[in-house]
This record gives sequence, C-alpha cells and structure tokens, in this order.
Amino acid sequence: MRNAFIVCILKRELRGVFFKMMLDVMVKCLEKSVAEHVEMRHHRREAFTVAIKDGKVDALNNGVVEGVCVRALVKGSWGFSSTTSLLEKDVLKALRDAASLAKDSKPQKKRSARLAEVKAYVDKYVTPLKLDPRKADKEELVSLVMDTDKLVRNFSKAIVSDNVVFNVIDDDLSFASSEGARITQRIVRCFGSVLAVAREKGNVTSSIEAIGAQSGLEILKKTPLDEVGKVAAERASKLVSAPVAPAGVFPVVLENRIVGLLAHEAVGHCAEADLVHGGSFLANKVGKKVASTLVTLVDDGRYPNGFGTMKYDDEGAPTQKTVLIEKGMVKGFMHSRETAHDFKAKPTGNARAWNFEFDPIIRMRNTYIESGDCTVEELAEEIKEGYFLKGGLSGQADFTGEFMFGTQEAVHIKNGEFRESLRGVTISGNAFEVLKKVDAIGKDFAMRIGLCGKEQINYVGIGGPNLRTNVLMGGAAK
Amino acid sequence: MSLQTVSQSAVKNCEKLGADEAEAYAQKTRTVEVVLERGEIQSERVKVNQGIGLRFIKDKKLGFAFTSSLSKDSVLTTCRNAMKLSKTSLPNPDWVSLPTAAKLPKAPTGIFDPEIATLSGNEVLDLTMRAYNAAKECDKRAVIDDGKFSAFVTEVAVSNSHGVEATEKSTLLEGFIVCIAKERGQTSSMAFEYDMTRDIKFSPEKIGRLAAEKAVASIGPKTGESFVGKVILDPEPASTVLCYPVVSSVNADNVQRKRSVWMGKLGEKVAVSQLSIIDNGLLPKGVGSSSFDAEGVPCQTTPIITKGVLKGFLHNSFTANKEKRKSTGNASRDGYNMLPTVFISNLIVEPGKKKLNDLISEVDKGIIVRRFSGNVRTDSGEFSGIAKQANYIENGEIKYPLKETMISGNAFQTIKNIVDIGSESRPTFMRIYTPPILVDKINIVSK
Repeated sequence: MRNAFIVCILKRELRGVFFKMMLDVMVKCLEKSVAEHVEMRHHRREAFTVAIKDGKVDALNNGVVEGVCVRALVKGSWGFSSTTSLLEKDVLKALRDAASLAKDSKPQKKRSARLAEVKAYVDKYVTPLKLDPRKADKEELVSLVMDTDKLVRNFSKAIVSDNVVFNVIDDDLSFASSEGARITQRIVRCFGSVLAVAREKGNVTSSIEAIGAQSGLEILKKTPLDEVGKVAAERASKLVSAPVAPAGVFPVVLENRIVGLLAHEAVGHCAEADLVHGGSFLANKVGKKVASTLVTLVDDGRYPNGFGTMKYDDEGAPTQKTVLIEKGMVKGFMHSRETAHDFKAKPTGNARAWNFEFDPIIRMRNTYIESGDCTVEELAEEIKEGYFLKGGLSGQADFTGEFMFGTQEAVHIKNGEFRESLRGVTISGNAFEVLKKVDAIGKDFAMRIGLCGKEQINYVGIGGPNLRTNVLMGGAAK
Repeated sequence: MSLQTVSQSAVKNCEKLGADEAEAYAQKTRTVEVVLERGEIQSERVKVNQGIGLRFIKDKKLGFAFTSSLSKDSVLTTCRNAMKLSKTSLPNPDWVSLPTAAKLPKAPTGIFDPEIATLSGNEVLDLTMRAYNAAKECDKRAVIDDGKFSAFVTEVAVSNSHGVEATEKSTLLEGFIVCIAKERGQTSSMAFEYDMTRDIKFSPEKIGRLAAEKAVASIGPKTGESFVGKVILDPEPASTVLCYPVVSSVNADNVQRKRSVWMGKLGEKVAVSQLSIIDNGLLPKGVGSSSFDAEGVPCQTTPIITKGVLKGFLHNSFTANKEKRKSTGNASRDGYNMLPTVFISNLIVEPGKKKLNDLISEVDKGIIVRRFSGNVRTDSGEFSGIAKQANYIENGEIKYPLKETMISGNAFQTIKNIVDIGSESRPTFMRIYTPPILVDKINIVSK
C-alpha cells in the first residue's frame, strides 16, 4: 500500500517533467522555423466517466487523447497542421506542413492576417483544486453516482428510466510561440447530468439537468448531483400528463438557469469580432443603445470556477472580463489577436481551440447578464397572463440576432401568481427586441455549464439572474 | 503495423490480464478540410485522427479505456486501464456476452473511392472555391457566411475474444455552404445547403448555387398569419422533425427501458399507409453503409414501418442478448473513444411519386420550410422551432418569404397526418434518406 502511494507521487512528478520536455521539444522545433510567426500547442486530454443507466453501471470509462499542433503565419497567410505523434521529427514535419500550407493557400486569400501585440508570457496556471480528481477514489465516485440514480428512480411511480453521468475532463496544455511565450496550463472540469424519464398512460416525457464547474471534485459538495436529480425527476413526473404550453407572444419570466442561453446565443455570438466583421447585428453599434438600461452583459474569462475560465487563451493572450453591453449600450467585442489588430482594439483572450486538431477561433468564455434586485415573485407580480419558463434545452442564433432556445417547463402565471406547470416549448425572437423589453431583473444569479458549437465545439459558462421580458412561444394552437 | 494487428493484439493482451472477454475497436481517419469563414478561407487542415477503444469484461463488470496513440506501450497501458476500471466497476446483471463471429456480407458497393482517399489540401481547396464562385456567380446579392468541405478516409478494425475480426476502409466527401443575401440594407436569414457522397461524383457548384438561391429567395420577408395547417418539410427539416423521434422510438434500448412510446406496439398502425421506412446498412454508396457495425456484427436491412404499420426495432448485441434474439447490426460509435450505442445505419423513407412542384400545387394554404431551427423532444415527439427559409403558399403557389414564423406539433401525431410524400430523396447529416414530406395540422405561429 505504502509503495503504491510512492509510485503514485512519482508518476505525478514525472508528468510535470514530461510536460516540461514537451515544451522543450516544441521550443527546439521553433528554432528551426523559417515562418515569420509560429505558435505550437501540445494538448493532452484525459477523460473519466461514470455512467449509470437504470441502476446499472453502463461502463467505467477512461482515456487519453493527445497531440501537438503548429500554426504558422507566412506573409499574412495562416497554415495549420497537427499530429498525434510526440516525436521531435513528427513535430518538425507538422511545422513544415503548416508553413507550406500557409504559402500554398496565400494566393486564394484576400485578407492578410496581422496580429495585435501581446507580451510573450512565461507562466504556469492550474485550476484551483481542493479535491484533485487524479487522487480520487474511483469506487467512491461510482457509489455517489449510484446514490443519485437510486434517488431519481425512487422519486415517483412515474419515473421509469434514468441516465446519471459524471465526467472529469483534465486538460494539460502547453503553448510556445516564436515570440518567446512559454505557457503551461492545467484545466480541470468536473460535471455531471441527470436525465429522468417519466411514463404514464402511454405518455412519455423526460427532463435533464446538469451541474459542473472548472473545479476539483469539491463541486459535488457545493452542488450535489442529487439536487439536480431531484429537479429532473420532479419535473418529468409533473409534466408527463401535462399539455404543451400555448403559442403566441407572452410576457415571461426566464429562469436564471436559462437566461445564460439568451446571453450566449442571442447576444454573445453577435459580439464575437469575427462575426461583427461579417456584419452581425452589432456591427457599427458601439456606443449605441441596443437593450434596456437594466441590461449589462459581460464575457468573463476569469470568472471563478467558470466552465470557460482560463488564464491564457490558445494564442497566449491573457483572458479578461470584457463588458459587451453596459446599461443597454454596446461597449466592446470579443477578440483574437487578428481581429484586435483589425479593430484597433486589445486582444481579449477569446481565441480558443477545442483541441490540438483545431486552430483557435473567437469563442465566448463565461457569458452572463448581471443581477438586479427583484425576487422571482416580484417579477411575476406584474404579469397578468404569462409564463415562468424553466429548464434549458439547446439553442441557436443567426447573426441578425434572431435566436431560439428550448425550455422544458412553462409555469402558467395568472394575475401575478404561479399556477399549473405545462410542457415547455421553444421560444424565439430578435435578441435585441427581447432585451429592449426587459423591464425587471432578479437578484438570484446562476452560472451553469454549456457546450457551444461554432465549427468546433468548446466548453463555456453561461449565466444570469431571473428576468422579465416578452418572447414568442412556439406552442400549441389555442 | 496494420490496424487489425493492433486490435488483435490488444484483445490478446486483455485476455492475458484476466478478461473473461474483450473487444478492441481501432480507427484511423485522415481528414482534409477547408473552412470558410465570412467568405474567406479561414483554415486548411490535414489531420489524422486515430485511436483504439477497449472493452474489458470480467464477472459481468465492464471497463472501457481508450487512447489516441497506437504504439505498443500505449495500447498495453490502455489494456491495463480497462482492466483496473473493470475491477472498480459493479457487475451489470444484464450483461450476457460480446457478439460471436458470423460470416460478413460482401462490402456494400461504392463505399470506397480511391480518388477521395488521395485528395490533397489543394484539391479540397479547389472544390471549396468552385462552390464559392458558383454562389457568387448565381446572384450578386448572395454573400457566403461560412462553409466547410471535408474529405475523409476511414479505416476501422474490430476484434474480440469470440473470433470477430472485421476491417473495412471507406471514404466520404461532404461540403456545406451557409449563404446570406443582402439587398438595400436588408439581410436575409442564413441559408444552408450541403451534399455528401461516398465517391467523387460531387458537384460543389450545385451546393453554392442552391445556397445562394435559398438566401436570395428569403429576402424581404413578411409576417404571415397564425393558423393550423399544411406544411411541406424539405428533406432536412423532415428528417429532424419527423424522423428523429422515429429513430429514438425504434431504438431497442429505449424500448426495453420503457422510454419509447412504441413499446409493445409492434404490428400496430402508427402512421399513414403511405409511410414505409427501412434501415439498410448495406445500401450501395450509402453514407452509413458498411458490411459490419461498430461491434463487428453483419449489417442488414431491417423494416421499421411498412405501410404505416410498426414492424421492427433496432438492436446492438447488448439489447439483442437481453431478449435472446439476434442483433440487427445497429451498434454505432461516434469514435474509438465511445462505447457502442444503438443507432440507424441508413434510414430510408420510401419516396412517393410527386415532384416538389406537384406537392406545392396541392397546397391551398400552407407553408414550405427548408430549415428548422428548434428543438425536438425525441421521446415525446414534441417539436417547436423557427421555420427558416420558409415561404407562404396559397392556391398551389409560393407567394412570399415569411419572417418570425414558428412551427410546432407532435411527430407521432404528424406521421398520421401525412398528406403526401415527394419523390426527390436525399441523404441528410443524420444518415436519413428522405424526400420532402407534406403534412397537415401543424401549428404555424406568427407574431
């Protein structure tokens, strides 16, 4: 037993040495480069999953995906290449490939990429961890997930099936550039979800809720999986025989757990500088009013425990808190080094890549609307006939600001009072019309996890308080 | 070392480590892709994605481990990881066995094209530029927002302790373009067009032209009225709105776990008589075709709905074993790092006789939807979302593009309200082959 412990420590130290070596290999290769600017990234992603289906362990799952990529800039043209081999000769080959791809595609490119200045940082960052998952007792994790599964299945007679999943994604990232940046980061994300399925008289419905953060396993103490398990089980049981919410434009209270979808889908994408450049709704609107003065919307790369938090982005630029909309007015956009140069702005640390197979593009980090001071009851008070929409599903937005996202539950509000629960529907509208109609903001803030797809996927945080506005609900005909 | 040698030796390693049974799924994919962003080439990538996933079973306890490195040492470490996970795990009483060896059918014709396998970055770039230019030439108002063209060569090898040994190479070429149209300060909604094929017979020009046409056709939209009525769903929205819930409900795992509304309904009428759907893993040139599934079980044709009557469910070996029956060869994995689930191979909605224009001429009052941006609850069948590139139809003619229009309904009701099925079938990104479908009694919601 004691020996095993020593081996374990040794292995961890060896890992540290190994990443130092990988950085050295990349630096050595960089010296042989002829391109004007080169970035190299090494990425090792270790995943661990416990999945329980209906009380049975589906599988315990663990694995590693690892590789190196090179991005080279030659006369304003980017080239990119990646490899899963960590040998110096293969990394060098990737470097040569990236440079020649850059050269070859140059004639087809109209624009010439130039980069805003960023200090070449030499730094190390690790997610603050109280309970490091690498040291965790896996059996304990399995039994914890089993307990949630039991709670969900015993919640009511209507619950017939469930999936309870817990994941740990542990990323080791190194970055080296020809400008001299040398950065290593370890980013740990722990997250779980519960899907509860209810069945009654041939009707079937399901509900899903998730927890998670950039954190160690202490997240399970802060936001127990049981809590969301109960929410999902309760909702599925309640809605299995409920009708679908009606169609039309209604005043609504959006639950804090889904307001982040509005912040992210509807507004956030329009404030990504690459989409702004392409003519998004927010192009040429800096300093103009696009939302109610109650609305302040930010993207924060340093939000404590945020799912999208990192100290540096995948171009080596430090992350920051970027105010996108302040009291209804457009303040700024999210940038990469390239768009920052074009917009004469500062890079905001939003260039992100899913893994070593992708080059970085502008992505949100933790996007949220700031809190106000109303309770949820106060928000409902003013509504004669409307809905309290809860439980997010997936969303999508055009860069004109037309957005949609799904909701799981619509609680009827009649003369300021919460009434019966109906099955949720997809809501839509133009984000900026919806934000102009925000006339009250709640004080209960929630930050949750999200997975965003924009050519490549990435982990993001989305958040906000409960708020009141008007939306179009795509429900049943009256 | 061949992929098959790697998977075979991984199985042997697991057996040496004490596995009752073990399975290795090794995969190697070479991708050449060109990404357009804001009408410009954003990146060009040549990448090789490879790895192996191992199922290690001991006393009905399953451990699964994967690695992106196929070196001998990494694979051995991964075998040990799988063993450790299996030790930590709890027994699954439903576990019976990995599949046993069976004679594989001949590989479906046309799933490998050596021309695609050797496409270079520059050649894919050329395909992309042809689509790009075609969109621009089609209409000056069309602007390309983004797009991506990718050529894949995939090699898969599956081995297990019961003598399953299967290996196959396939190719796929796919491309999409997202177009918007601008006119007098107005911007249309985003129009999406795509194609995918197993062989090089691929027209990027058609993708570009159709994307531009769709975008231009949605300029100057009007707000329509709200009503309950007829909707023509293009193949893409038809597969999302109508077929996803069908796919979910015939998944034997969902049926066994009481999640399917079709549990216990085999032989019952679930749709109009005009609707027939099969799953065909052996479809020549099919985008989901292979001679074996993700567990090395032979692929086959399985009737799902025949003339409106529910005929069959789809199984992998786990769900089949639970019922002591044969797998339908529908084990599926999204990659070597995933466990097999149950999914369709090629789901084929039997085409009808009418061209799209004939379907339109049948509609006295309704809309046509070319893209659906919304949510579909696959278990209950509810769908609601925005009708994109939607047009109002009156007296058999397309009148004007619609804005801020949503559609909603229930897929299981809607397949009983199918009025007609078109003849022009095409594959969608979910490996569903469907023509346009005309349905009735849909909630059409306008502001």
